[in-house]
Amino acid sequence: MNSLALDLKRDSALTLSQAAVGCEFQIKQVEGSACRQLREIGFCEQMRVKKITHGRNMLCTVCGTRLALSKDLADQIQVVPA
Amino acid sequence: MNSSSPEARIALVGHPNAGKTTLFNALTGQRQKVGNYSGVTVEKTSGEFFTPHGNRFELVDLPGCYSLSPNSPDEMVTRDVLLGVQEGEAIPDLVLCVLDASNLERHLNLLLQVIDLGYPVIAALNKIDQAEAQGLRLDPTALTETLGVPFVPLSALTEKGFVALKQSLRFPFPAPGDRHWHGSHAVEESLSSLEKVATEAGLEPPAAHALQLLSDPSYQDSDHLPEALREAAKKGPQLAGEISQVRGEFVHRAVEAGLRRPDEKALQLTDKIDAYALHRFWGWGFFSAIMLTVFWSIFRFAEIPMGLIEEAQGALGNWVGSFFAEGDFRDLLVDGVIGGVGAVVVFLPQILLLFFFISLLESSGYMARAAFLMDSVMSRVGLSGKSFLPLLSGYACAIPGIMATRSIPSAKERLATILILPWTSCTARLPVYLLLVPLLVSGTGAQTLTLFAIYALGTITALLAAKFLKPRLGPAEAPQFMLELPPYQKPDWGFILRQVWDRAFSFLKKAGTLILGISILLWFLETYPKSDSADPAAQREASFMGMAGKVIEPVVKPLGWDSRTGTAMLTSFAAREVFVSSLSISYAVDEEADGAEDKLRDRLASAKKPDGSPLFTPLAILSLLIFYIYALQCLPTTAVVKRETNSWKWALGQLGGMTLFAYLAALAVFQIGSLF
Ligand SMILES: Nc1nc2c(ncn2[C@@H]2O[C@H](COP(=O)(O)OP(=O)(O)OP(=O)(O)O)[C@@H](O)[C@H]2O)c(=O)[nH]1
Ligand SMILES: [Mg+2]
Repeated sequence: MNSLALDLKRDSALTLSQAAVGCEFQIKQVEGSACRQLREIGFCEQMRVKKITHGRNMLCTVCGTRLALSKDLADQIQVVPA
Repeated sequence: MNSSSPEARIALVGHPNAGKTTLFNALTGQRQKVGNYSGVTVEKTSGEFFTPHGNRFELVDLPGCYSLSPNSPDEMVTRDVLLGVQEGEAIPDLVLCVLDASNLERHLNLLLQVIDLGYPVIAALNKIDQAEAQGLRLDPTALTETLGVPFVPLSALTEKGFVALKQSLRFPFPAPGDRHWHGSHAVEESLSSLEKVATEAGLEPPAAHALQLLSDPSYQDSDHLPEALREAAKKGPQLAGEISQVRGEFVHRAVEAGLRRPDEKALQLTDKIDAYALHRFWGWGFFSAIMLTVFWSIFRFAEIPMGLIEEAQGALGNWVGSFFAEGDFRDLLVDGVIGGVGAVVVFLPQILLLFFFISLLESSGYMARAAFLMDSVMSRVGLSGKSFLPLLSGYACAIPGIMATRSIPSAKERLATILILPWTSCTARLPVYLLLVPLLVSGTGAQTLTLFAIYALGTITALLAAKFLKPRLGPAEAPQFMLELPPYQKPDWGFILRQVWDRAFSFLKKAGTLILGISILLWFLETYPKSDSADPAAQREASFMGMAGKVIEPVVKPLGWDSRTGTAMLTSFAAREVFVSSLSISYAVDEEADGAEDKLRDRLASAKKPDGSPLFTPLAILSLLIFYIYALQCLPTTAVVKRETNSWKWALGQLGGMTLFAYLAALAVFQIGSLF
């Protein structure tokens, strides 16, 4: 994939750590070293997630459950506005 | 059929905090630990129960796991039991999968994995009360149709739905269903070739092992498997990611069929509390306020019951004493037995209060918040919020704390946590602190702060030790933190009180056995051999204890202690509480005139050195406190550390290291303090 296509792909989706607080998103893709654990705890593709706080450890809700996760994990989750 | 063994084994499997242990307790009548946070159960436990049909079943409670690909040692137990490779463990006949109905979407994946292994499964839709309160609409029939296993809505807490559950647990168990999904050609191909290898190796059931090997890469390293199979799995294509994706899609469809979630409404109570409890600034205020309240209550509310116990003990001593003529036997009963055991039992109300508060924190849901807050501190020393949970349990007792480290994913972090854990002050130290703190400062406020400082000192040193140890235990790892914050819950008072009662009972049992035995022994060692002199001081010197005191005196003198305190410290290696009994016996033999009704604390305050100056100066007390904060004087802890780390090196190194550190720290405090 050339760099332009990569950039375009990145534009449409942002990572959960970049996402804005207070908004709802849908998980587009989970990718990275911890993707299995993330899926298992509830960050699955197509799930809806709401971000509650920013920070080194951020807080979000998935299907009514509050989950805390560190920034480098949130970087592995790509979301699109829901 | 053998009437002495149960007819079938049922295993409880589910996410952490789904309510497995609550269900287990409700069905078997046991009292295993329950708490509103993840990772409470770290071991397999089993019990029995009867169904209305008269069947007797064995129920096995397992540690919670998010999937059958374990991330930590406790989760590995669950996987190995289900695959039948756990040592000495028969394979379950049925799996009762406990799902949290209030967030079912996240729980179905694990259910699917269990079904895939080929087990007969019953799905318990637990916490149905919570789901209904949230306005969730669940359709058990649709779920049953999609997943092919019976769904039973129930509440383990209120026992609603138990009749239906027991009805569904009857012979014959539902037939195991087929796998619900089909992978790509590559997946199916690998599965059948791995299955062939497993069949050749005689591993039962081969299909389950093949699937597990393909979907859980860590299983390829399991030492329970034949070499040939591991090789085959490692050489073949790695398709775990694809399988998890296919499963995810299936679950998504199942959820659409069987669950309607109302649109997010107004903020829930949990959100409102968390806005403060997790706040960057208020969160810490909240945390400190909780801790200070706990310590303050320990001094404030325990006074009345302690006074009663002291009075009862004095009256008992007088009453027993009145039956016997003055002499050794009366001294043994009054000073040795009643004095020695009583000196410890007096602290029972305070110990129970601390347990009560810890149980309250555990069942309310605050534990996970504390872990979240502490993560920022813990990460500076190379640990994470995850290791804060075991450390907090360590304030009750180090042993369950060390066990609880099994839920820490990183092996290195787990080892570091085990090694520092005994520095979070356990309740066995509490009698020592509570005896000494009032000698140092007076007034509830000052005493509360001193106790708070004692706990803080232990904890901070533990964290600094982790900072020192962690880089020496192996290469650095990327820090990761992921934690579920369960909704706050009204504490289950009945459960808490029963737990506190169990604690009281086990404490009294310890007092009536170990501490009683040691007290009698100590009394003998203090009393014999007899000297000709009538002077109690001369007698003490001639006794075995006096001889031991002479040996230990040069060692403890630089710490500001006398020989009696030194021997008391030695005896407390049997159990820390014995320090208090031992002082009580030593200082009872002293002033024979005014009798034993005086409080031990007053006797210590008035104890004099041979030159007439007070023995327990503030500095000497401080050095004693420092010693007890740091010394590891609990052999059961060392045994558990050996078991959990599988190494004597760590266990004995910790024992020696902490004790040496305690000695040096007390030495430094006394020597440096004496300069001023
Ligand atoms: N509202 C409600 N709460 C429940 C129900 N069942 C369990 N709980 C609560 O859920 C929390 C977790 O219960 P546990 O039984 O410790 O959960 P577990 O599955 O054994 O958790 P781990 O041992 O960590 O795997 C506790 O606070 C229980 O009181 C229920 O039916 N309704
Ligand atoms: Mg449990």
